[in-house]
Amino acid sequence: MEKTIALLLGILAWVAVGAIAISVVNAWRDDNQVLAFLPILAAVVAAWGIGEVVTARVFTAGEEK
Amino acid sequence: MSFISTSFKKQELHDPGFLRFIFGNTAMAPLWMLARLYLGYQWLIAGSHKLWGGDRWVAVSGPDGLPLKGFWEKATLVPASGKGQISYDWYRSFLTYMADNGWYHWFAWVVALGEVTVGICLILGVFTGLAALGGATLNFNFLLAGSASTNPVLFVLAILILFGWKVAGWIGVDRWLLPALGTPWQPGVMTRGVEDHLPLVGHHGRPAGPATAT
Repeated sequence: MEKTIALLLGILAWVAVGAIAISVVNAWRDDNQVLAFLPILAAVVAAWGIGEVVTARVFTAGEEK
Repeated sequence: MSFISTSFKKQELHDPGFLRFIFGNTAMAPLWMLARLYLGYQWLIAGSHKLWGGDRWVAVSGPDGLPLKGFWEKATLVPASGKGQISYDWYRSFLTYMADNGWYHWFAWVVALGEVTVGICLILGVFTGLAALGGATLNFNFLLAGSASTNPVLFVLAILILFGWKVAGWIGVDRWLLPALGTPWQPGVMTRGVEDHLPLVGHHGRPAGPATAT
C-alpha cells in the first residue's frame, strides 16, 4: 500500500510538471523565454527531489530490511 | 587475405575517459537537464503554435494543414533562374508527391503532435534519447526543405543529448523508467520476469529450463 501511494505520488509530481510546462508556454509564448524557463526548471527539480526522497524512504529502505 | 581477418577481428574500442564522463556520468546530469529543458521548451513552443495556437495548423474551421501545404509549395518552388530552396531533387519530388496527394491534411497532425510530444518528453525526461532522436529527425527534414531558422542549433543539441541519453534523463522520469524497463547494462525490474520465462535464455544470459544434476 505504501509503495502504491509512493508510486502514485511520483506519477502525480511528473504530471504536474507537464501541466506547468504547458501552462507556462500558453501564458508567455515567445515573449520571455528566460522567465518561462525558470518555473519549468523549478518544477522538474522539485519532482525529481520528491522522487529521490520517496525512493530512498519507501523503496530502498524496504529492500534493506 | 589474412590482413582482412586481422583488421576485422572482434575487439571492442573504448571511449576516452573524458567522453565517458561527459556522456555517461551522472555528475553531468544537471548540465544535460538544462540542455534537455531548453530543447524541450523550444519544441513545446513550436508545437503549441501548430496544435492549439492562433495560427494553428490543425483543428481549424476549414481543411487541416493548409499552412503545411503552403510551406511545401514554397519549398518545392524552383524559380525560372537560379536554384530552389531544396538541394536534393529526390526530396523535392517527395514533398511534391505529398502535396499533390493532399497528405498535408494528416501530416500536419503528425508534425504538430510530434513536436508537442518531443517537447513534453524532453522536459519530463521520458525516453529522452528517443525524444531527442525524434526532434533531430524533425530538424533534419526542415533543413532538407531549406528552412534554416533555429534548426541547425536544435539539431546539434539533439544529437549531443542523443549521445548522452544514459544521463540526460537522470534528473527526470528516466531516472526510474529506464531501470524499470531495463537498460543494456541492467535488466529491468518490470521485464525481469519476462526474461526468466523466455524459452532459451534466462536473465543474465543463463540458460533457462530445469537444472540438471551432474
